[in-house]
Amino acid sequence: MYGQYDVPMRIEEDEISISVDLDKDNLIYNRSCADEGVEKIILLADNGILFINPIEPLNKPKELTPYLLIEFEKDVLIGPWARRKIYLKFPIEIGVFLSSNKKNHEILDVMTLSKKKYTLYGSITKGLICKYWKSDIYTSIPSTNPIYEGVLKLNIKNETADWINASKVVLNAYSMKIYYNNSMVSMKANMDIRNSNIAETSIIDSPIEKGMSKSIEHYTTRKIPAVITKFVMEAGL
Amino acid sequence: MILDDFVYGDVTYFELLISVIVLITSVFVAKIVTIALQRFLRDKITKGHLNNILRFSYYSVIIIALIMVFPTIGIESSSLIVAGGIGGIVLGFASQSIVSNLLSGVFLMFERPIKIGDSVDIEGTEGIVEDIKIISTAIRTFNGVYVRIPNDKVFTTSIINYDTNLARRFEYVVGIRYSDDANKAIKIIKDLIEKEPLALKNPAPKVFVNNLGDNSVNIIVRPWAPSTDWFDLKMKLLWKIKEELEKNGIEIAFPQRTVWFANDISKNEVNTDD
Repeated sequence: MYGQYDVPMRIEEDEISISVDLDKDNLIYNRSCADEGVEKIILLADNGILFINPIEPLNKPKELTPYLLIEFEKDVLIGPWARRKIYLKFPIEIGVFLSSNKKNHEILDVMTLSKKKYTLYGSITKGLICKYWKSDIYTSIPSTNPIYEGVLKLNIKNETADWINASKVVLNAYSMKIYYNNSMVSMKANMDIRNSNIAETSIIDSPIEKGMSKSIEHYTTRKIPAVITKFVMEAGL
Repeated sequence: MILDDFVYGDVTYFELLISVIVLITSVFVAKIVTIALQRFLRDKITKGHLNNILRFSYYSVIIIALIMVFPTIGIESSSLIVAGGIGGIVLGFASQSIVSNLLSGVFLMFERPIKIGDSVDIEGTEGIVEDIKIISTAIRTFNGVYVRIPNDKVFTTSIINYDTNLARRFEYVVGIRYSDDANKAIKIIKDLIEKEPLALKNPAPKVFVNNLGDNSVNIIVRPWAPSTDWFDLKMKLLWKIKEELEKNGIEIAFPQRTVWFANDISKNEVNTDD
């Protein structure tokens, strides 16, 4: 379902139905996703183009935090100076963007079929509210339904001479680079472990497989001038 | 030259001109200081506090310039000190509360127990902080009423700030019948909390039988939610718990009393009385 569409248009897949219909001079946007429905009127100077792609999974049920915490189903023990890659799953949120000239994209709608949950990373006084997701750990690319889940390739680098136990990773939405094709949504990240309690995470701007398309980023389309894109996990791994 | 002529007393036109130039320069310096402070502090403190500091700096520079200029225009520092001393005593008595509020306002800016937009309870006044001025703090109560609280009261009283911490916990007591399965009820409630996005995964919610009451088995439900959204969750979760429990055959208990008679009263006797 991801890609670009000339309006008017209509698509239906799984529990999602999206349509843009012509009503006299206006366009009517209709969407249903699971139990939720949205209807909007669009006023355009000329014909618009609709882009549907996965976006940073931090907008539903509300934009409460720019941080995504993925808890591992089982703890990972990382050897001294080890460099390994693992695969995790992350939740998908689908963004609908509208463009009248292919350059300026405006977010029209966000929907998700994934479970929505928040958690606290760190202490109540100095921690962070994060979007929460729990994932198994895979050593090869797991199969996913791209409407529900994406695949995160995580390069873990232990920069210490100690054994490190890790149970989670926290990522910053302002750096997320999401790629997609018909069968998969992907993201790549690094997790550099500084000590048993601190790690730095950063996103790599490249797809897991060749030929994947890059998603339009919702968190950068809002033109926030200077934001930190890396994240330092200081409250435990 | 005309500049050497006296305007009044021993003050010449030149001295007067110098004084005016110093005062005008002080206004420019004050502006430069405020712009520099604004740039330096813009990202470090809130807008309300920044405005107060800028105002304070601006007038401080001008007052210092005035004090410097006074001897040049024939106003003696010693007479100023005497006049200032007497005036200070008079003003001190007259403006005791104002100075107290002003100083409290300055201390509040440094300590920062509250900031604009926080939900607070200041000496029984609950609401959202609208503005923190140098003399007073403005609160919009939850029912929309404007309340102005002098800063010395804010500074000396206990403040409850609901937004300082990231998450907060709330509590329900759910009373079920003695005939119902409390373990099943606890599982249902935990599952419901798990489905609620705003009920935090960590810190984990606590659900347990707290006491065996007169009329019900009382289950305590303690979920955590982001401080900004806890009330939304509180409003909707309780009714969901009630509905879900009833859907599973667990009833919320009503107050009831079982009466035992010392002697058996036959049904016929009761009917005869009627």
